[in-house]
Amino acid sequence: MLFLVAAGLQLVFGVQKILNLACGSFYALGAYAGVSAVTWALGHGLPAPLFVVALLAGGLALAVIGPPLERLLRTIDGRDESFQLLLTFALVLMLEDVIRFVWGPAPVQLRGAYLVYGQVSVAGSTVPVYNLFVIAAGGVIALGMGLLLTRTRFGRIVRATAENREVAAALGVDMHRVYRRVFTLGVALGTVGGALVIPATAAVNEMAIDVIVDAFAVVVIGGLGSMRGAFAGALIVGVLKAGAIATWPEVEMLAIYVVVIGVLVLRPAGLFAGATP
Amino acid sequence: MTLLEAVDVRMFYGSFCALDGVTLQIGRGEFVSIIGPNGAGKTTLVNVLTGLLAPTSGTVRFKGENVGGVGPVRLARLGMARAFQLVNVFPGLTVGETIAVAVLARLGRGARLFAALAGERRVWDEVRSVADLFGLGGALDRPARTLPQGDKKLLDVASAFALNPEVILLDEPTSGVSTADKHTIMEVLVHAAARLGIHSIIQVEHDMDIVFGYSDRIVALHQGRVLADGPPAALQANETVMATVVGRAHA
Amino acid sequence: MIARVAGAAAGLALLLAPVVASPYQVTLLLPAFAYAIALLGLNLLFGTTGLLSLGHALFVALGAYTAAWLTTRAGVLSLEAIVLAAAALAAVIAVPVGLLCVRYVKISFGMLTLAFGMLFYSFLYKFYLVTGGDEGIRVLRPVLLGQPFAGLDKVGFLTGPFYYYALALLVLAAAVMRRIVRSPFGLSLRAIRENPDKAAFVGVSVRRYRFYAFAIAAVFGAVGGTLLAVPTGLADPQLAYWTHSGNLVFMLLLGGFHHFLGPVVGAVVFIFLQDAVMSLTAYWRFVFGALLAVVVIFFPGGLLGLLARERPA
Repeated sequence: MLFLVAAGLQLVFGVQKILNLACGSFYALGAYAGVSAVTWALGHGLPAPLFVVALLAGGLALAVIGPPLERLLRTIDGRDESFQLLLTFALVLMLEDVIRFVWGPAPVQLRGAYLVYGQVSVAGSTVPVYNLFVIAAGGVIALGMGLLLTRTRFGRIVRATAENREVAAALGVDMHRVYRRVFTLGVALGTVGGALVIPATAAVNEMAIDVIVDAFAVVVIGGLGSMRGAFAGALIVGVLKAGAIATWPEVEMLAIYVVVIGVLVLRPAGLFAGATP
Repeated sequence: MTLLEAVDVRMFYGSFCALDGVTLQIGRGEFVSIIGPNGAGKTTLVNVLTGLLAPTSGTVRFKGENVGGVGPVRLARLGMARAFQLVNVFPGLTVGETIAVAVLARLGRGARLFAALAGERRVWDEVRSVADLFGLGGALDRPARTLPQGDKKLLDVASAFALNPEVILLDEPTSGVSTADKHTIMEVLVHAAARLGIHSIIQVEHDMDIVFGYSDRIVALHQGRVLADGPPAALQANETVMATVVGRAHA
Repeated sequence: MIARVAGAAAGLALLLAPVVASPYQVTLLLPAFAYAIALLGLNLLFGTTGLLSLGHALFVALGAYTAAWLTTRAGVLSLEAIVLAAAALAAVIAVPVGLLCVRYVKISFGMLTLAFGMLFYSFLYKFYLVTGGDEGIRVLRPVLLGQPFAGLDKVGFLTGPFYYYALALLVLAAAVMRRIVRSPFGLSLRAIRENPDKAAFVGVSVRRYRFYAFAIAAVFGAVGGTLLAVPTGLADPQLAYWTHSGNLVFMLLLGGFHHFLGPVVGAVVFIFLQDAVMSLTAYWRFVFGALLAVVVIFFPGGLLGLLARERPA
């Protein structure tokens, strides 16, 4: 589900040129919100198999924090990028404690609900169907994003602004609205991603800062500014991690960073370079 | 003696040909103007001559050495400096500091970690004299970004001159400057060059009065090729040049 | 004028702290000093040269682990030897890392440094045979200038001889940094910050000088790291995590990166503030996040920027 967070990062960076460290925080928020939503829904009689709906709803609901945050980030638009980065770092700190405040410091999880879908045997190992569902969902969202960006008017505007801000503005595009929407979309991608993941793992306080590093690795490997790249990057990172854990555990984290550095050095634009998402 | 030469230089951007077999030599003591309509390849030629771009084919030699694409730092060391069309300064540094950076680099003292900058007597004396040549002597402590546009331009050129290069390349030195000031600036430039022992000046310039008034030689470019190369009188007699590059009005 | 007086007053206060302040407050100053040294280096990179490193914690951790390794595994207790070893190791590591990173600017530089920082973190975390894994390695009490001060208990040692040792090291580091910033090299670095392209045209070896700055920052970072490890008695992987690098930058911003002493102010204020806020609420991260946001939006020049007229050092 790294893809979703990465996609969020990708989008916001591509258009607004902000590297948003808080993307991980959105992910975490989505995760926690998802848990709450489902617990609440199930407690109110939602049939178990439909818990996914509650999950998604929880994730999406949280995307409302997008517009105000975007407004905040915009106050320092135009200054050195380092400052924007630092501001998102500030957000990470704040959101981490917000989570701690609302949900407490202990890990939170949905017990077994996802097993409702049963398990399936794939390539010799048992895999919960839910996981496959998540992968499929990821693929669907990826496709959806792709279509959104290439086929719809909104998508075209987004890509145009990514390519050339000034020209887009001159052509009458309302920059503020675009930014707000893009940012919110990015946030939503993060929160939904977090929500979807939650049944399979636990939500912990440190999720945000752990995931951002992986997301960052994905974005670098796939290339800043390319949706397809984010998808490929997520796949690569995922495979790398799995492969490393299986063969030489010590190297798991190392391997990813080595690849990141390698990519940054050899192909600074990433594997799927391009200014358009 | 040829200081700088381009031999059959070709420059392709993908399939677009910006320079198509340009050959020219700049000798000691010459003031050469490069002229041509927009898109003729002037900027590309300058970039190739100043080592920013390596030509797709052909050679560029400075004092006999092949300098294709060596980069600005190396070239500055070899004795060529360049000033830009769009004003290029160090906004947060003062006038004095700006010139000092160049002087220090030239003297090879830019990396001295433990010397006190304020105590570099020789450097500051030179800074003062260069600044005076350009009329900036009174503004040594002013941050570059607070200078009026014309002075910023002079500062940019001054810092290039402070490198005591043998050849200096000026990219439209009088652009963005009012007509009244243009001659003043040119006078300052020529005078400073003489004082600092700069052997050759190459300029890219659009203002034909300036071009014909100051150049020893004019090189006219058109669509990546050298259309004409000679003293002002010869070019004025050349009908093709006058029409395509200069425009009738200046006959 | 006011700055001079304030500075002198602060200096006096620091000198007398073990005598007039509580032991707790004095021990709080120790990490502040350590961070100050590390930040002096970081500011050479950021304030003077314009490069924001998001992996500076790498060198701080390096220093801490050097201290740990030398005291517990190699039986070397002389703090002078430890500091020198850390500095040397930092310089060595800075060569490949720095040479690679300075080829890139701004965001790419930030990303590369962050990646290296995390690379080091994962190395520290995983290779437990060498690094003690996620538990880290202990740091034993070092010997200062040949004196073990065996008669003093931990607090006595820390608030006495070690305090003055650290303070002296900080003063030394500050003096060295001041020299560097005011040297021709410092001017060249500032030129690179202001306009790297023009700097190149004026003959400044941009890449090479950036690398020198990086190496110097690394050394300062490692020295700070060794000092950091002594009071806590432990070197652990968290020291290299990216959020630690983030905190370093935070401190720098807080103090003000325009003046070379900004880092010192930032470190001290941050540590004390963190202590105060932590005792007031469990949600100190929120407060700090908000503080950072406020600083970034309204006071990018930091505390020193507020106090002094903005004149880049």
